[in-house]
Amino acid sequence: MQKSSSSALMVKQEFFTKWKKGLQIYSAFNKEMTIMERKRAIKLSADVAIASTRSATTQWSRAVVADVSTSAAGAARIAAEEILGRKLTERRKALASKKIVRRRRKAAARGVVRSSAAAVAKKRVRNRTRVLKRLIPGRKKLDEISLIKETLDYIASLQVQVDVMRHIAAAAETMHQQQISF
Amino acid sequence: MDKDYFMSSGIIPPPQPLHFETSMPNPWSSDQSFFNPNPSIIHQFPHFDSSWTSIASSTTAAALAPPSLAADPGFAERAAKFSRFGSRSLNGRTSPPPMSRGSNPPAAELSTPPLKPDGSPPPRNRNSGENSNGESSVSDQIPAKMNSRKRKAISRGKNKDDRSNSPKEAAADGSSKRSKQSENCENEEECNKADQKPPEPPKDYIHVRARRGQATDSHSLAERVRREKISERMKLLQDLVPGCNKVTGKALMLDEIINYVQSLQRQVEFLSMKLASVNPDLDFNMESLLSKDMYQQQLYPLDSSIYHNQNVQHQHLQGTTISSVDPLPLDASLGIDGFSENLPQFPAFTEDDLHSIVQMGFLQNSVQNQTSNMKVEL
Repeated sequence: MQKSSSSALMVKQEFFTKWKKGLQIYSAFNKEMTIMERKRAIKLSADVAIASTRSATTQWSRAVVADVSTSAAGAARIAAEEILGRKLTERRKALASKKIVRRRRKAAARGVVRSSAAAVAKKRVRNRTRVLKRLIPGRKKLDEISLIKETLDYIASLQVQVDVMRHIAAAAETMHQQQISF
Repeated sequence: MDKDYFMSSGIIPPPQPLHFETSMPNPWSSDQSFFNPNPSIIHQFPHFDSSWTSIASSTTAAALAPPSLAADPGFAERAAKFSRFGSRSLNGRTSPPPMSRGSNPPAAELSTPPLKPDGSPPPRNRNSGENSNGESSVSDQIPAKMNSRKRKAISRGKNKDDRSNSPKEAAADGSSKRSKQSENCENEEECNKADQKPPEPPKDYIHVRARRGQATDSHSLAERVRREKISERMKLLQDLVPGCNKVTGKALMLDEIINYVQSLQRQVEFLSMKLASVNPDLDFNMESLLSKDMYQQQLYPLDSSIYHNQNVQHQHLQGTTISSVDPLPLDASLGIDGFSENLPQFPAFTEDDLHSIVQMGFLQNSVQNQTSNMKVEL
């Protein structure tokens, strides 16, 4: 048990160092940032950092990195590259739309209405898996089995992220309170 | 070979990761230590599963701050059992564990003689049959048993296809299936000594046997394998998502999972906003010194408690306007009581920002404290 908790600790540490690295780059770029810019910087660095702890072995981490590479500019891009340790490649968004069209057609082809309990349950499950797919970054390529696997990984990483961020936020909170009370 | 009987699975095959401990192009070479948790318990399993059990056990065990130490070993064992269940179920479920069935071992002994005159099984099958812990030996005997009258001695793991074949065909089929079974048992952790010269690469196929009383066409078998994989993964998820233990059924569990993922994502948003507001510069070195013990234990209430509180509050938030939002218990638990003091630096938010922050529910104080000299971010 100790080893597994220590491995989780290592993930936490890795996430934290990478996150800080990204933030340092941001602050090197603009000294003055509005609160929203700061929030975006924090969030992006955190997301890229936690995705990079998976070293692109999972779909969602790859998707996060791909999102960043398509939509990030300037400081964000450089921060992400620094965290990942590699260059981000430009990616086209055109491919995504084709897949959507194909899915629509397939869905329309089946017009059978079944009202048995099992069918209703199946439909519910299918709807929910679709919702889940939307939540997890990097959706379209996942079938049900790998979706669950990705969810597992994603949830674990999110837990690490939230944990570290919460501790830092609490520490920052107390520090700030002390500063104000002086 | 009888490819239509055995099916291929498109997902990550277990055999590859099982060679993990020996030699493998490990994609996580730098993070290898992370995915090498407790070797005494979990090292035989597919490293994906082992990493999940480690993460699951660490995060949830870390979450139970006071009883953490007591809960950890038990949880680790449970998690290990789940992954054990997972990996075993892939390969071992189809052939019944011989120890659990009292009738099987004697049946196995009895039918070894009939096996020997059967066809010409390659010698490696003999080896695998002897070397494995009896699991593949039982399944080895099974095709031969179909020919004998000892069917009733076997409670599970029958192969109906063999029954329909003629004895000669069954022998040939049996040998081919036995050969595949030996490859199958190469995937299992017990079959370390199995010979490694199969004609086809054992990596891509999951070999399944039909159970007694179940359809044996390839589609339903594939269905069954798929379903069992899904259910075993859902079990792992149950450990990860708090509050999922009482829920059964895919739909409800998916519901919980969706809620949990959403809540975690919202927490990330909220925390990043909070950090942005607290720090004028993005420097967290001081905070990291303060929270050194984040690496040891969790200072704040469980993920689950916050998650459930948020869940409950979320219902209330649906129809409320900004001004009437009550602070979430999240505020209290994170100690944001002093938060309003930081707000002199708070800028005015745009509509979208307000809506996103309402969800976090900490806006009630900040709406009043706006300064004019901050830019409005669109």
